[in-house]
Amino acid sequence: MSFLIPCPNCGERSVYEFRFGAEVKSRPSAGSPSEDWLRYTYVKQNESGVQKEWWYHRMGCRQWFIAVRNTATNEVLSTSLPEEKPGGTSS
Amino acid sequence: MAHPVDPSPPGHPGGASEGVCPITIFFDGKPISAQPGDTVASALYRCGVRIFSRSFKYHRPRGLLCGSGHCPNCLMTVDGIPNVRTCITRVHDGQKVRHQNATPSLENDWLSVSGFFSWLMPVGFYYKTFTHPLVWRGVEPLIRKVAGLGEVSPEPAADAGSESHPEHGSTGAGPAYAHIFWHTEVAVVGGGPAGLLAALQAARSGGRVVLIDDQPELGGHLRFQGKGRHSGEWVMPDGQDLSGLSGPDLARKMAEQVVKEPRIRVLQDSTCFGLYEGRLLGVLQKLAGGQRTANGSPSAGHSQALERLIYLRTQRLVVATGAYEALPLFENNDLPGVMLRSAAQRLAHLHGVQPGKRAVIVSEQADGGPVAADLKVAGVEIEAVIPRRELVSALGRKHIKGIRTTRGDLACDLLVLEGDRVPDAGLIAQAGGSLRWEEGQRAFLPGEMPPFVTVVGEAAGIQPNPEAPLPGPCSKKTFVCVCEDVTVKDLCDAVQEGFDHIQTLKRYSTVTMGPCQGRMCQLSSIAVCARQTGRAMEQTGTTTSRPPTLPISLGSLAGPRHHPVRRTPLHPCHEALGCTWMDMGDWKRPHHYPAPAAEPGASGHGATPAHTSTSHSHHLPTFVEAEYRAVRERVGIIDVSTLGRLDVRGKDAPKLLDKVYTNRLSDMKLGRVRHAALCDEAGILLDDGTVSRLAEDHYFITTSTGNIEFVQQWLEWWMAGAGWCVHVTNVTGGLAAVNVAGPKARETLAGLTGTSLETAAFPYMNCRQADVGGVPCLMLRIGFVGETGWELHFPAEYGEYLWDLVMKEGQPFGIGAFGVETQRLLRLEKKHVIVGVDTDATSNPMDADMAWVAKLDKEDFIGKAAILRFQARLATGQSERLVGFVMEDDSVPLDGSAVVHGGRPAGRVTSCRFSPSIGRGIGLAWIPSALAHAGRHFSIHVNGQLGQARVTFQPFYDPEGKRLRM
Ligand code: FES
Ligand SMILES: [Zn+2]
Repeated sequence: MSFLIPCPNCGERSVYEFRFGAEVKSRPSAGSPSEDWLRYTYVKQNESGVQKEWWYHRMGCRQWFIAVRNTATNEVLSTSLPEEKPGGTSS
Repeated sequence: MAHPVDPSPPGHPGGASEGVCPITIFFDGKPISAQPGDTVASALYRCGVRIFSRSFKYHRPRGLLCGSGHCPNCLMTVDGIPNVRTCITRVHDGQKVRHQNATPSLENDWLSVSGFFSWLMPVGFYYKTFTHPLVWRGVEPLIRKVAGLGEVSPEPAADAGSESHPEHGSTGAGPAYAHIFWHTEVAVVGGGPAGLLAALQAARSGGRVVLIDDQPELGGHLRFQGKGRHSGEWVMPDGQDLSGLSGPDLARKMAEQVVKEPRIRVLQDSTCFGLYEGRLLGVLQKLAGGQRTANGSPSAGHSQALERLIYLRTQRLVVATGAYEALPLFENNDLPGVMLRSAAQRLAHLHGVQPGKRAVIVSEQADGGPVAADLKVAGVEIEAVIPRRELVSALGRKHIKGIRTTRGDLACDLLVLEGDRVPDAGLIAQAGGSLRWEEGQRAFLPGEMPPFVTVVGEAAGIQPNPEAPLPGPCSKKTFVCVCEDVTVKDLCDAVQEGFDHIQTLKRYSTVTMGPCQGRMCQLSSIAVCARQTGRAMEQTGTTTSRPPTLPISLGSLAGPRHHPVRRTPLHPCHEALGCTWMDMGDWKRPHHYPAPAAEPGASGHGATPAHTSTSHSHHLPTFVEAEYRAVRERVGIIDVSTLGRLDVRGKDAPKLLDKVYTNRLSDMKLGRVRHAALCDEAGILLDDGTVSRLAEDHYFITTSTGNIEFVQQWLEWWMAGAGWCVHVTNVTGGLAAVNVAGPKARETLAGLTGTSLETAAFPYMNCRQADVGGVPCLMLRIGFVGETGWELHFPAEYGEYLWDLVMKEGQPFGIGAFGVETQRLLRLEKKHVIVGVDTDATSNPMDADMAWVAKLDKEDFIGKAAILRFQARLATGQSERLVGFVMEDDSVPLDGSAVVHGGRPAGRVTSCRFSPSIGRGIGLAWIPSALAHAGRHFSIHVNGQLGQARVTFQPFYDPEGKRLRM
């Protein structure tokens, strides 16, 4: 594994500077039914293909951002800072 | 065989300058003189060495075959490093060379009898034979001795290397392996004419270039050609016309230009072993005993390395790896004295060594082509030139004595083969390029390439091979793969057994999987497979090429040993006290301090705990006993600078903390401290610590040692994209911290600060910013160890000063420093859970008896939904619970002991110590919830017996927490 990730702040860097967070999902609102929470907590898409993910630039700007990555080829198609909107989850 | 000391003729045609100081190398302990410009192999060959190794399985003698680093035959241990290709390793004075894989010597190898037992290791041997573990256990030691290549030195390579390099070793053993990261615009792999030209062109168009060459000198095959005019037009990018020069002169002129060009960085003795994602090239450079780079100098600090691994990121890649010759198939094709053309030419032209006396040349050109002329110049008599079709077998046991042809036998001591030219396509295949069979050139050539890759020179296309590769007779003595001793017969058998696809044939027979990575055998194994299956070369296809293209040492991949160590600002204070260190993550922490010399009446100071018993002292080490008594009876001090510290500010800070921590923190009054825990969405405990509110929009948070990075990232993640005004700053490195606790803690600190420490003014679970001994401190009144005490956080630069001051001030009260071991005992008596010690990746606050950390009436927080589910589960009795226990007998189970219920393991002890205040073993354990009732008994496995324990939910010491609040 040695692919490059274009950090939205720092530009293209080695994947070893980053930490993978998780697949991007939207968090159920408080009081949602149990099934929603279980699906959100335990079910991963594990997409073999293009997937939206959280990454953190540990050895750089120390920011969380969103990357669109092809998990089969490790090609990072795009990256962006999370949208500035209250609620804490970006979709 | 005796090795004459210096039989070399004076001067030789293509060799290096004369009159340079002589070089002596040691072969199996015997001194051998070498000439400058020699490789280890050429020096040994000149001295009469003909057998360079013994083969992998059958221990057949093997000699120089390719002379260019492409086969397994010349592997030896050089300066302690096993499996070095001696034919491309230059000599240096004092070099220590040892043979491998033969006992006692290469000439007489007892294990060569395994050749007579070749039925013992038929193709697919492992798969067929070791179907039962007992069989494997019996045979393994024998196979390990017989099969294999080289042996790893038990000494670290740094030592082995520096011992033989006095110039390197003066400052002691340095790192044997270095890692270095480079970026370039163009990387050119291959230092032959095509690579040199490509590098010059790229540099001329303004790019920065790294040129990687696995040979000791630039020039590729030009270097070892005869003196005649080299064919073709050679106009350099700067317009200089070099046409008409001889091969070696052309090589020299081009190399000069390259070395002069400041934009080109040359890596000599360097193997590009792989192309990885993100246009990353793995390059391994040998540094020992030679110049390092032609114009790139090794970076400081790495000068002692034997090998260095270069992570080279490039924008464009030019593959100029050229072509090599494959070993043709005929009987006994592995005998010493059978040589590929390149080896003979290199010996003759580069090193002035006569490759033999009487040679037969196998060539499709009637006159034997240029190599015939080269051999004649070197004084070799040409016995005959025969076409490949007529060659039947090589004759001889340890060295070639002659050959059998379809027209009769011929005597010779050298057989020079013009092998099939094979474009070196390993990197191309890794780059995702396809290979297609080109009938016209009779070779596999690169097809489609990714846009950043260009292939030039012979790697892109060769002078057509005169014939398709011949599959050779189906014989046990015809070696397809000299690395793994795979014969044509083996491949025929395997195909018959059903492994008729080239990929399965490879896995079953291990052909192409040895040190040469298919260079000698790929083409011929495809030819054999094609014949046996009746398919064409095209249909048979190639095996998948994966990195590394050549073997590389594991040491070079692992790199230098580098373990960062973190020391607290108080480190020197602990050292002065002579503490015993322990590692906690990257940190060094005092485990304990030396016990004071026995002092009668030492426990006479201050208050005496409820329970004292000297009869139990054998359960506690004396140093713990002394430290424990200091805290419980007088006053103790511990360095807690390793705690993670976060400064959280901004108007939305309360919102963030309420969302992420399980407690409610937005309603805290200024100057208050709360315990707080973090869970993930699955309700699993991640960390806990204290949260202090310093202002409406300002919190100070502590995390467990080593968890700070994670907690900071966790907080930042949950505010990402929220648009909140919060800043989370890691202030761990900037702050020292001590905890001063015990009945005399107040008196000790009172003399140092004007802030009132009386409970009325500074109650339990409060914080104040105060001046202590002139140092600005944040004082937290908390009670992890169960006594009145303060945790002081203050600028790191005052660390030693304040420690010394508190020690001096506390002296009249009998202050003592305590370490981690005593702290763990003290907190255990208070039944405080340590997240990560008493909990694991499946523990939630409900089962861990920490329900109080979760404010379930908060509208939302991370993990709330899961914690609600765990709460509901508690009632069903379906879970494990973390409970306190007291031993009923006087045993003290070890941490990790099994809880036994109904004769089965049913849980585990996470922490257990002898408690001086109870006079028995106490601890925490996960047990089935059916047993988790106060007063209930359960068994713990202690020293092969069952000890009885009683469940308790109360702290063991001062259950009401009165002492904390005093
Ligand atoms: S003879 Fe050295 S690698 Fe082939
Ligand atoms: Zn960044």
